[in-house]
Amino acid sequence: MNSDNTYEVPIGPIHPALKEPFLIKFKIDGERIVGAEAHPGMNHRGIEFMGMHRNPYKVIPLSERICGICSIVHQHMYVTAVEHAAGIEPTNRARYIRVIMAELERIHSHVLWAGVAAHEIGFDTHLHFTWMIREKVMDLLEYITGNRVNYAMWTFGGVNRDIPKRMYPKIEATLKYYEELYGKLEEIFLGDPSIRLRTIGVGVLTKEDALRLCGVGPTVRASGVRKDVRIDQPYAAYGDLDLEYQLPSLYGYGDTGDIFSKTLVRLKELVQSIDIIRQCLDQMPDESINSEPKMAATLNKLKKADGEGIGRIEAPRGEAFHYVRLKGGKEELDCWKVRASTYNNLATYAPMFMGEQIADIPIIAACIDPCIGCMDRAEIVDVNTGKRREYHHEELHRLSVKKTRDLLGGVER
Amino acid sequence: MIPEDRLPVSMEDLEKYFKKHLGDALTDFKREEFKKGLKGRAIKVIWMKVDREKFLFAIKTIANIQIPHLSVTSGSDMGDFVELIYHFHVNYGYPGEETSINLKVHLPKSDLTIPTITDMIPGALTTEREKQEFLGITVLGIPDSRRLWLDENYPKDRYPWRWDETGMEGCSRYVHDPAEATQKPISEKPRGGDRDE
Repeated sequence: MNSDNTYEVPIGPIHPALKEPFLIKFKIDGERIVGAEAHPGMNHRGIEFMGMHRNPYKVIPLSERICGICSIVHQHMYVTAVEHAAGIEPTNRARYIRVIMAELERIHSHVLWAGVAAHEIGFDTHLHFTWMIREKVMDLLEYITGNRVNYAMWTFGGVNRDIPKRMYPKIEATLKYYEELYGKLEEIFLGDPSIRLRTIGVGVLTKEDALRLCGVGPTVRASGVRKDVRIDQPYAAYGDLDLEYQLPSLYGYGDTGDIFSKTLVRLKELVQSIDIIRQCLDQMPDESINSEPKMAATLNKLKKADGEGIGRIEAPRGEAFHYVRLKGGKEELDCWKVRASTYNNLATYAPMFMGEQIADIPIIAACIDPCIGCMDRAEIVDVNTGKRREYHHEELHRLSVKKTRDLLGGVER
Repeated sequence: MIPEDRLPVSMEDLEKYFKKHLGDALTDFKREEFKKGLKGRAIKVIWMKVDREKFLFAIKTIANIQIPHLSVTSGSDMGDFVELIYHFHVNYGYPGEETSINLKVHLPKSDLTIPTITDMIPGALTTEREKQEFLGITVLGIPDSRRLWLDENYPKDRYPWRWDETGMEGCSRYVHDPAEATQKPISEKPRGGDRDE
């Protein structure tokens, strides 16, 4: 590395504010990033191993705790995979309730992401604004399930709690609240000239790279890739609903794959989620919420079951996947493989960082909506002299904020 | 590559296509279609097993349909052999048509090697590195064979998903059991520090 005058900059792995410690090592030539490499694993808790020593029911709450933000995603996939393996069919009402819950979570995840993205480029007012409006959907989730996170909603054959008619007005009120605020969000994130300067043409992922690297979710839809499990392989009740791939070209923008397109896709999905929940409330059939109400009998059935199944859903961050194998006569799961969305999107970091500036690191790192995004410390080692220099998260953040201000012509906000 | 106007490929055509190209190397072919929701739109899943000798050819056959979406590779210790399942998805971009192709391959414990597929699918690197460290298999020709998830201090000859003598037995401590809690863990080296030594 001495010959080409590049620096190595590790960023990570620990920051207490986020649930996933993470390390990215950058190769820097002056201000330009010429290489990026992700080093995950700081928070590998061996959950799959733990799951293979428990009975299927005990794994439901365990799977829910894989992620702190998308509590619904992993229990949804896990339950679907076991149902597939054991041949259990959930009731149709349960399928609709699953969709409603998943879409409510998508709203809260995307709003949260918008706040983090704004924070990374120095707009803390937007961060506070988006996190304030996120409270509404959290309140609604608490109203429906009793919990703000870890909803304990899924069970084999259906869901644990119903969404009765008396809850509809509050759900509708929350949807209306977001609908009214959407214009403001769009104005902030798509119209603001300084945000446009920081996001347009930055962190570009080409369509070809997106396909080759098997990327998922809004990260690749922004590049014009038509991949959305809700439409491609409609699970739960998505097959009954009207959905469209949310691509930037649908709204007259180019499928450029930069951060602006990724923001656009996420904001449009917010509107889509509102529409999906309304469709569900209209069409939801009136029947039982669980086809397997007797837990002991189901457990016995699962113990005898011999088969394998997959669970695959579109999480807020993109496609996620579970594989489960049950062995006849064995109470514990025989095999359980969990794959979250960020796992596939890790590979897309390398082309996105290439050629960008150090000050763009926070926003590009955040743009795939990883379960990280907070850069605790960065260390720059000058390979020529062996000198070390540390960038702390605050300093990196300051650099990013400074870049925004410089772009605004040095105007102090 | 199949031209775009011939996509999506139906389940029947996929079955014919795989049987024609893979011949006797293809076993345990299973088609599943199960209906979901009030309108009964189907989810399409294919399971199949291929001999290890024909594994790379099978991947090429799948990659000829469309740039394949590899979700992940799952693997498990089945006693005498290690089973790897490559979970592919084709026909994406066509509403309701996407088909899961779960390709199984068995590696005997005497020879735990499999060729890399990263030259055809660069996105497979993460999952190949994971299989190496968790199952103790060797991916031949992998561009980056370092560990990904496990700590550098984790014993080199132990693999978390193996159920034989190379498994986790003895690696975990039961802190609720006083007799075991006093035992020293396998790794003596302090955790943390620079991962790059």
